[in-house]
Amino acid sequence: MRPVKLNVIDLPKSDYTGGPSSLCPGCGHDQISGVIIQACWENGIDPSRIAKMSGIGCSSKTPAYFLGKSHGFNTVHGRMPSVTTGANMVNKDLVYLGVSGDGDSASIGIGQFIHAIRRNLNMVYIIENNGVYGLTKGQYSATVQKGSKKRKGAPNEQPPIDMCKLAINLGCGFVARSFSGAKKQLTALMKAALSHRGMAVIDVISPCVTFANNDESYSSYGYVKDHGEELHGIDYIHHFQPLNEVDIPEGGYEDVQLFDGSVLRLETLSSEYDHTNPTAAIAALHDAEVDKKHVTGLLHHNTEMPTADEDQGLVDTPLCDLPPDMLRPDREKHEEIMARFRA
Amino acid sequence: MGATVNDFVINVATANGTGSQSSNLILLNSLFEMGVPVSGKNLFPSNISGLPTWFIIRASDKGYQAPGDRTNIQILMNPDTWFKDIEKIESGTVIIYNENVKMPVEREDCLVFGLPMTKLARGINPKMAKMIANMYYVGVIQHLIGIEQDALERAVNRQFKGKSSAVEVNLRAIEEGRAMAAEGIDWESPHVVEAREKDEDTFLVDGNEAVALGSIYGGINMLSWYPITPSSSVAEGIIQWLPELRDTSDGESTCAVVQAEDELAAAGMVLGAGWAGGRGMTCTSGPGISLMSEFIGLAYFAEVPGVIWDVNRVGPSTGLPTRTQQGDLNLLREASHGDTEHIVLIPGTVEECFEYGWRAFEYAERYQTLVFGFSDLDLGMNNWVCTGFEYPSEEIDRGKVLRTAEQVSAIENYGRYRDVDGDGVPYRTLPGSGLDPILYRGTGHDEDGIYSEEPDVYRKLMMRLKRKIDNSRADLPAPVIREEENQDVGIIYMGSMENTIQEIDDMIEQTGLKVSQCRIRAMPIHPDVESFIERHERVIVLEINRDGQLYGVLRKELPNDLASRISSVAYSDGMPPRARIYADMILETLGEVKP
Repeated sequence: MRPVKLNVIDLPKSDYTGGPSSLCPGCGHDQISGVIIQACWENGIDPSRIAKMSGIGCSSKTPAYFLGKSHGFNTVHGRMPSVTTGANMVNKDLVYLGVSGDGDSASIGIGQFIHAIRRNLNMVYIIENNGVYGLTKGQYSATVQKGSKKRKGAPNEQPPIDMCKLAINLGCGFVARSFSGAKKQLTALMKAALSHRGMAVIDVISPCVTFANNDESYSSYGYVKDHGEELHGIDYIHHFQPLNEVDIPEGGYEDVQLFDGSVLRLETLSSEYDHTNPTAAIAALHDAEVDKKHVTGLLHHNTEMPTADEDQGLVDTPLCDLPPDMLRPDREKHEEIMARFRA
Repeated sequence: MGATVNDFVINVATANGTGSQSSNLILLNSLFEMGVPVSGKNLFPSNISGLPTWFIIRASDKGYQAPGDRTNIQILMNPDTWFKDIEKIESGTVIIYNENVKMPVEREDCLVFGLPMTKLARGINPKMAKMIANMYYVGVIQHLIGIEQDALERAVNRQFKGKSSAVEVNLRAIEEGRAMAAEGIDWESPHVVEAREKDEDTFLVDGNEAVALGSIYGGINMLSWYPITPSSSVAEGIIQWLPELRDTSDGESTCAVVQAEDELAAAGMVLGAGWAGGRGMTCTSGPGISLMSEFIGLAYFAEVPGVIWDVNRVGPSTGLPTRTQQGDLNLLREASHGDTEHIVLIPGTVEECFEYGWRAFEYAERYQTLVFGFSDLDLGMNNWVCTGFEYPSEEIDRGKVLRTAEQVSAIENYGRYRDVDGDGVPYRTLPGSGLDPILYRGTGHDEDGIYSEEPDVYRKLMMRLKRKIDNSRADLPAPVIREEENQDVGIIYMGSMENTIQEIDDMIEQTGLKVSQCRIRAMPIHPDVESFIERHERVIVLEINRDGQLYGVLRKELPNDLASRISSVAYSDGMPPRARIYADMILETLGEVKP
């Protein structure tokens, strides 16, 4: 019998899988779940330290399909960020992995998405972006590009909300776009996001095979394959095994240093792109929209900002683990306070 | 005819933002310092500057704290309400007014005295004249009713926190006002104060600060809030007290504070904190509860502990944002769609605001559900005499949380939602523990937390939830019962009506009827409420709203034979309850139900 392959904390990949998916066969979301499993396993994150958070929608159902050994909370529509914020405040030591969709994040939950970024909540925020509301049978969402047409009905006439543009404008320190079918790129970005400290947004174009996988849909497999534009080739180098598995690229490359010591190696295809410059990212996204294309890769990276929990000046122990005597003033203090009221 | 002693109502009519609050609190505190039972009510507009405001001070040896049915001393400072204020004044009232308003006071039937308050104040400090002008009526009242100088000085010092320049300037204005009144008033004041022995243990505090302190003693770990009158001062109180009471010696915090983007997010954060094993809380008012309702249902269904304080203002909609009501009870009891019910703690005193501040977290974690604290603007934002806050009588108890693998394996066939003990309360494990992880969800779920639409699974879960909350009845604060031997009439009431009930009771008893009181302090209804109703032939449910919400809850929750025994008396006009209105309505209702 072949020995089971273990990760750096000696766990088999089966410790990172979840229940069987109930999504449509071929759904892009299932590919993303696979990437989450792969990335968490390869990064050697203890699954009990991961908190899976989601809202409502096809995408938000997926936490049942990965990381079965992690606690999770499938919350209400568009409100995953606030629940994650509360959890993060009382337990800052967990790895928060949020999964949302374009309906969940770009419409009903756009306020919470914005404010979680503004606070720089320490989490990975995955948007599984298919341009439609799947569970309610295929209505357009707010991220769908102008002119895109789902399987049934008229083309979408409204301009899209580009979640990456929005995140960059709000000062998000890690913004990436990928495609559910681009397994290598998405896995590298997912691992990098998990290695980032602060808000990491990955907008993943994920075709809806049931309602919008026709060629006129800009988020269909066929369309993305033909109109996708990678900013760079990409490799993730683990801090615990720096030289394994990575080829030294022949052309130019740039290493992005991540919080946990890991490195994201960007193999430069477009020499002028600067991932530290937010206006360059906005320009690239704008041009792609004009050309009806999808630009993918690490769009923006910045590590300067304190996270929401750092801003609080909290004790080192997670607040949920504090002993009772740290949660209540003692009797002596109480008497002092009462005396002050009575003075 | 001699003057009445310690039994009068002062009404100060002024405009918002003119600085009269300091003068009014000095008057209130002076009386309090003299040991006179006193209450103060600030009737303020939803506005920062310019709209009319009234401050009502009532001194009463009987301890009556309602605004009173008539004004005895009227201060006129506000030209905008001048004529309306004068019109309302009853014959024989003392009227003190600011002559610089240059408006007439034509009331031959009243005792009238005017001073050019603004002009005099300008003489002391031209820049601060608008504020200092208010101190002159303090001086006039000091002369009229006989406020002791040292009590007054203590009150001024307290108001200006001992800041000597402010104390000196304001005392000077008060003294000028007093001296001019002594010189210019040639009539006897019909109202005087006499010092009483002051209970040195008492102090004045508002309910919101009491809730804030109580929450801190309750081990709050995360406060999320979105500003809304009249609840903001709960959050601000917590923020103000946290560094002293809950930081470590290194200045590190044991409670996070997040000003949320809206009430939905504030509620979401409470759920997140509770899910992760912390003690999360938010405070809001009715409009906020409406917005939070979806999350409230999730907390109920997924069994996540959390605390929400509702400081009730007047609804529906934006309503009267700065006025008081008990209009949110129905909303709290059954907030969110589907079949839900929630534990509601209803303090009626500032002492109880403190106590339920910490107890709310205990109940939330014990029953793994959302617990409401239900206060109102009158209790929350006005100052009340407090005998002191009692240190929590119980240690912090985190409820049924499994923290080790041994604890989990000791339970046969553990599941997050399995009723192991038969009390409806299951055991939970926390994220990060690695113990029996589940995906919490607002969708139907079986005893292991797995998605299910099975009819039997759903029905069983809903019945367990009902049993769980039902089992809290006797554990929640029992009603406060003041019972007569002659059990003619029982009055059931709640919350801030406590401050008016005795006066109502006395008014009704003037007719010869004996009145027993039963103040409900929690939902679901405590068993003692049922036995109280059983002992009384006629029971009135008295509350500050239009529709009789408490009455409705009781009708629904009481056995049929008891439900038919209660009658509703409900009235709300935004004002704190005035005894006469309610007493008359009760008498009328009793007339109707009399055999």
